[in-house]
Amino acid sequence: MSNLLLIAIVIVLGAVGYVLGRKRALNTAGGNIRDLHSLPVYYGANTAMTAVVPAMGLLLVWLLVQPMVVNNAVSGMISDATIAEAGSRDLVMSDVRRVADGLDLAVANGAMSGAEASNLDPSTSDVRGILAAVGVALGSDVSSETLDAAQRYRGMSGTGSIWKAVVVIAASVAGLGIAYMQSHKDFRARNIVERGVLALLIFAASIAILTTLGIILSLVFSTVEFFRLYAASDFFFGLRWNPSFSGRGGGSELGILPLLWGTLYISFVALIVAVPLGLFAAIYLSEYASNRFRSIAKPLLEVLAGIPTIVYGLFALLTVGPLLVDVFGSGGLLGVDWMAGGTAVMTAGLVMGIMLIPFVSSLSDDIINAVPQSMRDGSYGLGATKSETVRQVILPAALPGIVGAILLAASRAIGETMIVVLGAGAAARLSMNPFDAMTTVTAKIVSQLTGDSDFASPEALVAFALGISLFIITLGLNVFALYIVRKYREQYD
Amino acid sequence: MTDATVTPTPAPRTKGKSLMSEDARTKKRNAAEKRFRAYGLGAITVGLLFLVSLLWAIVQNGTPAFTQTFVTLDVALLEEKLDKTGNRDIDEIKKVSTFGYNPLIAEALVTATADIETEVTDKDLKKILSASAAALLRDQVIANPDLIGETVEFRLLASSRVDGYLKGRVTREDLARDKNLDAAHLDLIDVMVEQGSVERVFNWDFILGADASESRPEAAGIGVSMLGSFFMMLVVLFLALPIGVAASIYLEEFAPQNRFTDLIEVNISNLAAVPSIVFGILGLAAFIQFAHLPQSAPIVGGLTLTLMTLPTIVISTRASLKAVPPSIRDAALGVGASKMQSVFHHVLPLAMPGILTGTIIGLAQALGETAPLLLIGMVGFIASNYPDGVASGFLDPNSAMPAQIYEWAKRADPAFYERAWGGIIILLLFLMTMNIIAILLRRKFERRW
Amino acid sequence: MEDHYRMDRTMSTAQDTKISARNVQVHYADNHAIKDVNVEIGDKTVTAFIGPSGCGKSTFLRCLNRMNDTIDICRVGGDILIDGEDIYDPKVDPVQLRAKVGMVFQKPNPFPKSIYDNVAYGPKIHGLAANKAELDQIVERALRRGAIWDEVKDRLHAPGTGLSGGQQQRLCIARAVATEPEVLLMDEPCSALDPIATAQVEELIDELRQNYAVVIVTHSMQQAARVSQKTAFFHLGNLVEYDDTDQIFTNPKDPRTESYISGRIG
Repeated sequence: MSNLLLIAIVIVLGAVGYVLGRKRALNTAGGNIRDLHSLPVYYGANTAMTAVVPAMGLLLVWLLVQPMVVNNAVSGMISDATIAEAGSRDLVMSDVRRVADGLDLAVANGAMSGAEASNLDPSTSDVRGILAAVGVALGSDVSSETLDAAQRYRGMSGTGSIWKAVVVIAASVAGLGIAYMQSHKDFRARNIVERGVLALLIFAASIAILTTLGIILSLVFSTVEFFRLYAASDFFFGLRWNPSFSGRGGGSELGILPLLWGTLYISFVALIVAVPLGLFAAIYLSEYASNRFRSIAKPLLEVLAGIPTIVYGLFALLTVGPLLVDVFGSGGLLGVDWMAGGTAVMTAGLVMGIMLIPFVSSLSDDIINAVPQSMRDGSYGLGATKSETVRQVILPAALPGIVGAILLAASRAIGETMIVVLGAGAAARLSMNPFDAMTTVTAKIVSQLTGDSDFASPEALVAFALGISLFIITLGLNVFALYIVRKYREQYD
Repeated sequence: MTDATVTPTPAPRTKGKSLMSEDARTKKRNAAEKRFRAYGLGAITVGLLFLVSLLWAIVQNGTPAFTQTFVTLDVALLEEKLDKTGNRDIDEIKKVSTFGYNPLIAEALVTATADIETEVTDKDLKKILSASAAALLRDQVIANPDLIGETVEFRLLASSRVDGYLKGRVTREDLARDKNLDAAHLDLIDVMVEQGSVERVFNWDFILGADASESRPEAAGIGVSMLGSFFMMLVVLFLALPIGVAASIYLEEFAPQNRFTDLIEVNISNLAAVPSIVFGILGLAAFIQFAHLPQSAPIVGGLTLTLMTLPTIVISTRASLKAVPPSIRDAALGVGASKMQSVFHHVLPLAMPGILTGTIIGLAQALGETAPLLLIGMVGFIASNYPDGVASGFLDPNSAMPAQIYEWAKRADPAFYERAWGGIIILLLFLMTMNIIAILLRRKFERRW
Repeated sequence: MEDHYRMDRTMSTAQDTKISARNVQVHYADNHAIKDVNVEIGDKTVTAFIGPSGCGKSTFLRCLNRMNDTIDICRVGGDILIDGEDIYDPKVDPVQLRAKVGMVFQKPNPFPKSIYDNVAYGPKIHGLAANKAELDQIVERALRRGAIWDEVKDRLHAPGTGLSGGQQQRLCIARAVATEPEVLLMDEPCSALDPIATAQVEELIDELRQNYAVVIVTHSMQQAARVSQKTAFFHLGNLVEYDDTDQIFTNPKDPRTESYISGRIG
């Protein structure tokens, strides 16, 4: 029975429960709403809730657990020889799953009967051909061992599905029955329903924790796997980044340092552009600009923040890069030959800087505005000019907040992907020349995971190790920055 | 701050001095003031100049993508080539591949250029047409088999070089190193433009069409990936809005001051600043490798973007909930409503405009996001077919607008660059519309307490 | 330095007019906040502005050193002369004016810097000291005048925000005095202070009278009676009555003043 159908049945049961529960509660009160503890809808909602929620929870757990159980049972059937031949247990299991799914599909399409599918003999029939006919392509012919495993897989899954349907529907009906019996005029249905809703709200709020947990788990598992294949010391202290393209062959050099250097260099250039511009813009907007000017210029600047990074990436690759080559390249305006190609640290850094201007300016604007007016009054009252007030009173007072804002901007720059993928180049290089092409941690995560290499190879797994490094660096910066900003705000609250 | 203008004896110089004349020091200070002010204005000007040049680059490079060059040809659809039996059986007509149509087009080209003096050999004439011209012709014949046997006027897609020549992107100098087209072709094109058989028309195929292979930039469109983006946004809207609102209500209205609440708050503020690519890794590991959801499917993209957008939505929703004054809650509680009722009947409706505004802005952010999509396999070249229905719209491999643009930007062909810029125009139009809706919502429902 | 002040005292008699306001009008957008105020404020005198909240006394005070310039919607009409010069003349730089007319605010607002830097700020920006030693002298003298020297002389480099409220306010007064102003404006300087701190500040104000024209806005009639020689009563943006303090409190001419003094309005 398909899961969708099962869900539909449970929902129908819930709807039935709603009507019944409501009716019964009203009946016990003799049709007089005033005698009920809660409004009739709450009795209905309570019955519906009890019918749906536990059943759905069961379904969810079942869906998570059944594949694991089946997988474990089936993978025990496979001999070590087969595993050695295929390369890894996972590869064999994915073949088994594909055969099993293919046979199910063939039965569903009517290409063969259920009995035929169960009694297939790989020596007499062309399993690969049959499956190809229903659109499931296999890499090789199906061995009898794989087919046996697939049949076992089908059998267990099929039994599991039937039991799943039975258990879920039973749970739903039981819930409905219990709640129906409870629906009495003195029953505090509203309190129960509200507790249910509150649980839902808490669950929604916990998704933030689950997301962080998911990020950490998905990064950590694969990173551990990576360090089993590649020495951690070589990764953290290696000065060369040179993955082999063959996918499985060794000989890759996967040192993070050149990538980290490129990341930090580009971020540095970006901050050199964004911080002065953003800070001065914020000062002008908050201290000098008329309301009218502010109401026009501020949103216009913030448009820069709303533009997707892919647009900046294209701008770097196709507009800024060639422009910089025209100036700094050979035969350029300056007559120097510093820049060989359009993709360079300077290109990516400059464009990223543009992107960060509104980020720095609106954060600084908030922070400057948080400096109490009495500070300004005190300074003006002593005969200070606006610029003296800004430089000697407001900025020192706002400094912690502004440092926090800059750290947040730095974390943004370090985590930025599309601009560096398109604008910074692909070669990992430890160079001081800002007009050289370099690459970054984020760009390499993309290239290692979108290439052709096998997900189990160190060339792909290194992306997770890069990811965890990136995550830790940006998280550290963020936590520190948010701490500073919060402390700063408390000072003036 | 000490200064040469100070007199040797530290006399208070202001005493008894006229206010009407600026002393030297004040002049200097006012000059410094003017400079400082100019820096500020300069910073804003530079920022706005960047904005203008960015928009200029987009419009300048992107608008050509919205027109496309077509060659109008009279093609003789010979019955003996396309339908040998002559019974117009559609299945038999379908058996004729594009190779069967190529000679017809070649013949039509020779006829069309017969009275033009050109150095181009008859064999090379087809270079002015797109490689997909035959396929287009075949599609039209299959759609309308009655045309067979007649000579019909068709508008066929010109090759990207010809298109680029008409748009000024390709010059004669460029062609010296190009084996796809010769200068002689361009002379021919000049004549054909005068004759009116080669013309640029509005490019609906770019807006509605699918991506094309690397050798046919003239046929590539963004339509399919637009649909991919649309299905993703549906997922994001229907997951992120309810979850985000529920989480915000809990945190703002019910959460007690304890460790758990702190933990959630810290998580949310940190997730808001986690690089988007990390969400891509999460999507890859959790939804594809762990949950075995289909790779490259909009539903996976939608789930990943949901997790990425949630913090944004929660932060803005909490702000709008906070803006509802406590007196409203007290009033509801005062007439005997439960806490839950006061929130859902009074606070939430009042906060709704702010919540929607925040959601739209979160959606706009998700719509422009590229990096996580690349990791879950929603890369551009996948967007080559329209999904069959709603379910396949969610589950079949597709791309998204920004990923499609990235794919085009990677193909080192200026014709694809033009498409990438054009795609950006469409993407920005969507974002602009969403933001304008958000602004209007805010204007219309803005409430001052 | 001391000679200088003595010289100043000999130059002007106690009843010289320092500030004269003629037909002053202030508008906040559409709100007519000050209506046609005429007043002559004497040098080396403490002048108190009293009146109910919102009567315009603080607004008028802020006109005297053009602090209202920092508020966009505020327009000032009429003439305000200091030493015979119109301070709203386009040629006048408010920065120079404010060096001459110092101000102390309602809430103590020390900068988030050290005590020393708070006081040195004004002299530094106006270039009153040629070197560090001079600056030290100026700071010490100002702190002494602010009657706070003894309390802070051992921790000059501790942050000014760490002082108690009364100390902070005296620090702010010292800060204002450090720029050698000729007029000192005080906007309810004691409203955020406890009675003991208030007494200290009041005592200080009385001493400051030796050197400056002091204008003080106050909510408290007792305070006005204690510290001032002249009192002006404002009501609804009008200057109702302006006279010697004794006169105002014992024998007010206007019935509105009388009602206010006796506590019937306000």
